Amino acid sequence: MNKILGFLVAVLLVAGAQAQSKSPTAQDIIAGVDKVRNPGQPFRLTNTMIEYVGGQPRDRVTLVVFAKENKQTRQFSNLVRYVQPERDIGKMVLMNGSNMWFYDPSSKVSVRISPQQRLMGQASNGDVVTANLSKDYTATLVGEETLQDADRKDRDCWRLDMKAATDEAVYSRVEYWVEKGTYRQVKGKFYSDSGRLLKIAYYHKFVEQLGGMRPSETIIIDSVDQNLVTTMTNSDMRAQEIPDAWFQREYLPRLKVD
Amino acid sequence: MRAAVAFCLLCAAAPAAAQENGDLDRIPTLQDEASVPAASASNTHGKYYVEDAFALSSSRGNLAVAMPTHSSSDWGNRTSLDAFDQWSLGKNLSFTFSDRFSLTENNGIVFPRDAARNDFREAYLTLEPVTETFLEFGRINFKNGIALGFNPTDFFKTRSAVALASADPSALRGDRLGTLMLRAQTIWDGGSATFVYAPKVHTPRPIVGAAPSWIDPSFDQTNASDRFLFALNLELGELSPQALVYHENGRTKIGLNISHPVGQSIIAYAEWTGGSEPNLIAQAIAYGKATGTLPVAAPVLPPTSASRAFQNDLAVGASWTSMAKITLNLEYHFHQAGFSGTDWRNWFDIGAPDPLAASELWYIRGYASAMQQPTSRHQIFWRADWQDAFVQDLELSGISFVNLTDGSGMVQFAADYNLSNSWSVGLYAGGTFGSRRSEWGSLSGATSAIFQVVRYF
Repeated sequence: MNKILGFLVAVLLVAGAQAQSKSPTAQDIIAGVDKVRNPGQPFRLTNTMIEYVGGQPRDRVTLVVFAKENKQTRQFSNLVRYVQPERDIGKMVLMNGSNMWFYDPSSKVSVRISPQQRLMGQASNGDVVTANLSKDYTATLVGEETLQDADRKDRDCWRLDMKAATDEAVYSRVEYWVEKGTYRQVKGKFYSDSGRLLKIAYYHKFVEQLGGMRPSETIIIDSVDQNLVTTMTNSDMRAQEIPDAWFQREYLPRLKVD
Repeated sequence: MRAAVAFCLLCAAAPAAAQENGDLDRIPTLQDEASVPAASASNTHGKYYVEDAFALSSSRGNLAVAMPTHSSSDWGNRTSLDAFDQWSLGKNLSFTFSDRFSLTENNGIVFPRDAARNDFREAYLTLEPVTETFLEFGRINFKNGIALGFNPTDFFKTRSAVALASADPSALRGDRLGTLMLRAQTIWDGGSATFVYAPKVHTPRPIVGAAPSWIDPSFDQTNASDRFLFALNLELGELSPQALVYHENGRTKIGLNISHPVGQSIIAYAEWTGGSEPNLIAQAIAYGKATGTLPVAAPVLPPTSASRAFQNDLAVGASWTSMAKITLNLEYHFHQAGFSGTDWRNWFDIGAPDPLAASELWYIRGYASAMQQPTSRHQIFWRADWQDAFVQDLELSGISFVNLTDGSGMVQFAADYNLSNSWSVGLYAGGTFGSRRSEWGSLSGATSAIFQVVRYF
């Protein structure tokens, strides 16, 4: 009898443990990641980037980013304004799906830029921060790994392989390591159409921002220029009403960052 | 046994994870954010810099058509103080100011009497009485046009150019005089509408002659006639069309800008305007007579019809960007009012033997330059730009205009390097090429090199 009871208890424990440890699907994971990444409301933040060339800090760029999720496409529309360095003050970038423009207050001209150009330059790094992964990518759960984060702490992660599911996806392929349980992204690898690894991102320094624990610093290792590493620090993240009318080129000269 | 299998699996997995973390070694010792003073998002609207440009140039001799006057100096130096700023004057009111003061030295001018020049580019108030609706008044640098080398719909470009180091059209569009105007714009989700009225406040200034005083705001260049513009922008699919209607001196032009991405790396674009007006020769001669530069009885040379006809201006092209941060632009420009092949033959045939006629013939070309319109009917423009070329912050670029009728052209190569966030240096070298009896080969300027240093504040 005891043996039978013991067997039943063991079965129940195993079943319970299996139920508890059952891995979520890949899409569940990236949906969870999106919740960590995206506040679920329009917001603005100040993004400070420091470029390290050969290990030495060289350029420092400060941007103010306005971001809003398009309710129809569920993609993020971004408006970016340069506030540092001095030579770039007032320059702006609009990224609204395939409608992308660069505005220079010196020339007073808006130049349309291609998706490829979106992948270049400082503003492009915003893609690493604001992107709707569950909308743009089809994910496959490759497995589970213990990975060191940027602070060299071991993290138990799900490893995802994501392929672009829409034309609007900025990267053709993204590999992602997501911490089990917290759904915090630990690392990402971003690839071009040709399969070339473009950049590696480590996310860390999670802090409370707009009602959630979000990474305040992202370290981006450039895989095209082996000497280049960029840190992106987000601060002053706050909710802000952003009219849809802002996300067009004619509004670029009007954007204020008071 | 299980332990052995688990150990083997662990051994198999460990190198993968270790390899996956190998890139951590590339992360340098990071600067502490708190130790670096961050730029406030709201206190840095302005852009101030000092720029010095030293130029050397060479001239052609034995021109096919002798120039009446041209600079004899083969060197020059310009030092400019440039300022652009915006101030908030209240919740819905702001003020914008843009100005450049320059000192120029070369063999041809008396220093300091003729050396100083102030280019008062912009000063205007912006009021937002209703959300996303703006009313502006003052001197405004207002531009339209999607193309790079020639902007048919940039109606306020005429006589707006100021002294520059680079011949790159993007630089030309940047440092130019604004126009005194009243501008109203409303923006909604999916489009915008803009209305502009630029009043006549002065009679037109002659293109050639004594330079105005250094502080002259040159409203006689930018506001010499009443002008009206209406522009409608729509976000239609991926086309982003802009339609324009422009009216000046009893003539109306319509225009269109359109662009579309092609794949991941190409943007195709087209810019067109059309309207009834005389051709370039007739326009120039009429302007020369109206401003007293040419005698009223001056003949129309080269001979052409002075009557109006519907003239088209078109710039069509594409930009292509590579993963190596190289962007190429290629454009075709059609300027129907410009010189045809026959006009060019007449220009050389009449001007070569007749110095008196040559003066008038060169005036036409000076007029086209001042109005920022191509002299020829067909031309090609290309621009190549390579960011972070070889090293971080080095930008290499080149531009060229080529006359499709005679094969002549101009080319300029540039290297710009950001020494730091505050210092930039630039080297520009270029020249013109073509036979003596060609558009660009007939110019006195053969080659030039400019070294420029910029200090931002």
